[in-house]
Amino acid sequence: MHREIRHHIEDVLASSKSVPGSEHLAQCEECRIEIQRMREQTALLRELRAPESFASEPRPGFYARVMERIEAEGPISIWNLFIESAFGRRIAVASLALALLVGVYLVTSERSAQDPMVAAQEAQPEISGQQLVAGEDAPARVITQMDQSSAGESSEDAVLANLVTYRDQ
Amino acid sequence: MDGSIGILSFPSVGGGTRARTRVDHKNSEEAALIRRVQARDEMAFREIVERYQSKVFSIIYGILRNRNDAEDIAQQVFAKVYFSLKNFDFRSSLLTWIYKITVNECYDYLRKKRVRKLVYESDFSQEDAQRMESSEPAVDGSVPADTRLAQRDLILKLLSKVSEEERNLILLKEVEGHSVEELAGMTGLNENTIKVKLFRTRQKLLKAAGRLTRVR
Repeated sequence: MHREIRHHIEDVLASSKSVPGSEHLAQCEECRIEIQRMREQTALLRELRAPESFASEPRPGFYARVMERIEAEGPISIWNLFIESAFGRRIAVASLALALLVGVYLVTSERSAQDPMVAAQEAQPEISGQQLVAGEDAPARVITQMDQSSAGESSEDAVLANLVTYRDQ
Repeated sequence: MDGSIGILSFPSVGGGTRARTRVDHKNSEEAALIRRVQARDEMAFREIVERYQSKVFSIIYGILRNRNDAEDIAQQVFAKVYFSLKNFDFRSSLLTWIYKITVNECYDYLRKKRVRKLVYESDFSQEDAQRMESSEPAVDGSVPADTRLAQRDLILKLLSKVSEEERNLILLKEVEGHSVEELAGMTGLNENTIKVKLFRTRQKLLKAAGRLTRVR
C-alpha cells in the first residue's frame, strides 16, 4: 500500500466520504483493492460484536458465584503452570521420566561398585550349604556357612577367607 | 503492492497534541478503587465485578455465542482479575486490562475445545438453527446463518495468527468501536503508535487470510 493512503488508513476505512488520500485512491487501483479487502476484513471483525438483542447481564447471583470460584481455586501457584498447560504437563512428565531413569541408573551402578565380592559370589554356582570364595589362581577354600541370614556377615567372612588364603601362600 | 510495513511512519494528525494523548491511570477514581482491592477490600472488588460484568459478558458472548460458556468464562475472568490485580501496574486502564484477560480466556477456551468443532457446534442461536434447517436465506436479506458462522470461524482463526497485543487492539477498535484517540488514552500509547500497530495488524490479517485460502 502506498504511503499516501497508509497515513490515513483508519480515516479511509471509517468513512466512505472524502478524506485525505481520496485523490490517490481514485487513481491507484492497487490501493483500492487493498482497501476493499481491509473493509471486508473489518466487516468480518464486526461479526464478533454481541447482538444488540443480547441481554448482557449475567444471571442473578453472579458475584456470589465468582467468589465461590475464587475460594475453590485459591491463589494461583507455580504448580498450576505445570498442571494447567499442555506444555507444562509434558515438561513435568519428561522430568519425572528422566528422574526415574537417573534413579535406576544410580541404584544399579552403586550396587555393583559397592560390593564386587558379592557380585562375584552371585556369579559362582552355589554348592549346597557351602560357598566357594577364592579366586582362580589361589588355592580354593571352602567355607561352610552356618548362617547365611545376614549379607553383612557373609561378606565379612569372604574377606577373612581371602586373608587366610593369602597367608597360606 | 508495497509490503514494507517495517519502515512505516505516520505524521501526527491534527497537530502535535493529539499524538501525545496520555491519561494518568494512577490518579483516577478507578485507581483508588484498584488500590482498595489491592488492600483486600472485598467491597471494592464487588464494585469492580458489578461495573464490568455486563461488558465482560457481552465480549465473551460476541466471540463464543453461547450463554452458558459466557457465564462460565466470565466467572473465570473475574477470578483471574481477583488474583492478578495485586500486580496491576496502572499503565493502561482497568477496562483494557480486563479486556485482555477476557479475550485471552476466550482463546484459551477455544484452544481447549478445538476451534473449528466448537464454533460450528455451539455458535447456533435458536434462530440460526431454524434458518439452517429450513435452508432459507436470512429473512432480512442479510448473510445466511451458515455463511455467518463460517465467517466467524475464519476471523477467529485469523486473529489467532497475530500477537495478543495486536488482537486486543484491533478488537477494541472494530468490535468495541473505540476511536484511535480513545485507544491511545486506554493503552497509554500515543496515537501514531496505535495507528502503526493497527495498520500492521490489518496487513498481517490479510496475509494470514491469503495463506489460509491458498491452503484450502
